Amino acid sequence: MKKNYVAYSVMVILFLLGAFMPVILKSYQMNMLTEIIIFTLYAVSYNLLLGYAGLLSFGHAMFFGLGAFVTAIAINHIPGISLINAVLFGLAATIVAGFIIGCLLLRHKGSYFALLTLAFNSLFFVVATKWSSVTGGDDGLSITRPDLNLGFTSISMTNANHFYYVALIVVGIALVFCWYFTQTAMGKSVVLMRENEERMKFLGYNTNASRLILFTFTGALAGLAGCLYALHFQFVSLSAISVDMTTAVLIMAFVGGTGTYWGPILGVFVYILLQNFLSDITDRWAFFMGLIFIFMVIFIPGGLSQVIMNLYQRFFGKKTDDNTEVEETT
Amino acid sequence: MSDHLHIQNIHKDFSGLKVLTGVDFKVADKQRHAIIGPNGAGKTTLFNIISGKFKPSSGAILYKGEDISGKPPHLLNRRGLSRSFQISNLFQELTVFENVLTGVRSRHRMRCNFFKRPNSDCTLCAATEAILENVGLINEKDKPASSLSYGKQRALEIAITLSTEPELILLDEPTAGMTREETELAIRMIDRLTKNHTLIIIEHDMDVVFSLAHIISVLHYGTILVSDTPDKIRNDQRVKDAYLGEG
Repeated sequence: MKKNYVAYSVMVILFLLGAFMPVILKSYQMNMLTEIIIFTLYAVSYNLLLGYAGLLSFGHAMFFGLGAFVTAIAINHIPGISLINAVLFGLAATIVAGFIIGCLLLRHKGSYFALLTLAFNSLFFVVATKWSSVTGGDDGLSITRPDLNLGFTSISMTNANHFYYVALIVVGIALVFCWYFTQTAMGKSVVLMRENEERMKFLGYNTNASRLILFTFTGALAGLAGCLYALHFQFVSLSAISVDMTTAVLIMAFVGGTGTYWGPILGVFVYILLQNFLSDITDRWAFFMGLIFIFMVIFIPGGLSQVIMNLYQRFFGKKTDDNTEVEETT
Repeated sequence: MSDHLHIQNIHKDFSGLKVLTGVDFKVADKQRHAIIGPNGAGKTTLFNIISGKFKPSSGAILYKGEDISGKPPHLLNRRGLSRSFQISNLFQELTVFENVLTGVRSRHRMRCNFFKRPNSDCTLCAATEAILENVGLINEKDKPASSLSYGKQRALEIAITLSTEPELILLDEPTAGMTREETELAIRMIDRLTKNHTLIIIEHDMDVVFSLAHIISVLHYGTILVSDTPDKIRNDQRVKDAYLGEG
């Protein structure tokens, strides 16, 4: 209960901080912050698969990209579509896709699951590349953000800060729900499945169905992030649905640490800030990102959140936790 | 008394290796049935078939008169059949409480609920604590399962098995590896907890078998040698030759 109280307080504080950012930051930095917030949802959804369920997916970008493309296509082809409806289109498409692909994958685990998701991601990428009449192919799709119509009032989305608030609120709600989700019956079952799937079956759990639900759910969250991504950049290119986008989220989650809920959120901040910083200095930023990733996997497999937890235990642990002494002597 | 479980001519072979060659027996309602036999006789294989892990090569298993052979384990569990494992099969990283709660919430249909939190549900927590009280693990409830002693892990194994409130309980060598004292305790615990339930138990420890069972079946090379009351089994010449020896 106490843990919950802390978690919700931190989220509220972060949200309020985020709400004040447009006053402090320049528009260039605001752009980056919006990107970070959108990727936060993407990374958290990925961590529910990787960290909580122990399922390594190489195909998360297919949902992210599908959400982005369907939103963009809906905006370009349906005149006068509202912002909310465009997002709902993208979300619906990813839910359907997640369910169908999930049905095909649900019997597989481990490396088979990883390879099959990779295959599906490649399939989506090829379709997006070849079906250029709809997706724009290599040129990508340009869109104009529709206004947000709330019924009683309409908010113009041409102002980037207005869209920032939309992203902040949508992602904020989604993240609070994800945190709540980790404590629900389904969220607990996901962790149990990672721990001992066989025993669950003998306790009346249909683990294949649970996996399908989780896969669809995390896919939908990634799709929602993709919708926001398309709306943020007002442009969708093939990179959104490429395998690179999957490895990006894998690195984000890993750098932050998959062992905690907030690790991947931290990972997104570090990844995007570092990427911007490095790409200012050198064209070969991807090379250095790769080096950092390799270093992390070898030396700190628990990610930055593990480092922080260890430091926390070292300095404050004695008062709160008896395990510290064991930690320090070992 | 009606038959709770009726095993009919079960055969099982693993790519040519015949493990079970026609197993037949009945378990009456509320009866305690022990299965004994030498190593490799197919006892655990039989459990794996009854609990839905394996499909039998041929034969039928009638559970309350209905054939359940080949049904997946989760459906059998939902119909009131629960099994334990010979090698403790726990959720090692989770607390003792969470281990038992898993079965309790399954019983209360809280498996995939997106909105309800099992740990904030008084009914579920009370039911979980009642089970832990019963098996003597209430003081360990917040410890991770992996930190328990061997004997307590075995007790937790039984607690998890009972957590779905089964009608038919299958225990696979519940006292394996326990010390004399732990075994004594385990016998009394099993005796207390399985009253008014149908129980099938695999056991090597003859003290356990003779003090618990109403009926004993001797499984020998894939088939039931004899099924009878403990007194008759003790004096059966075939059983002495095959298994008990001159004890």
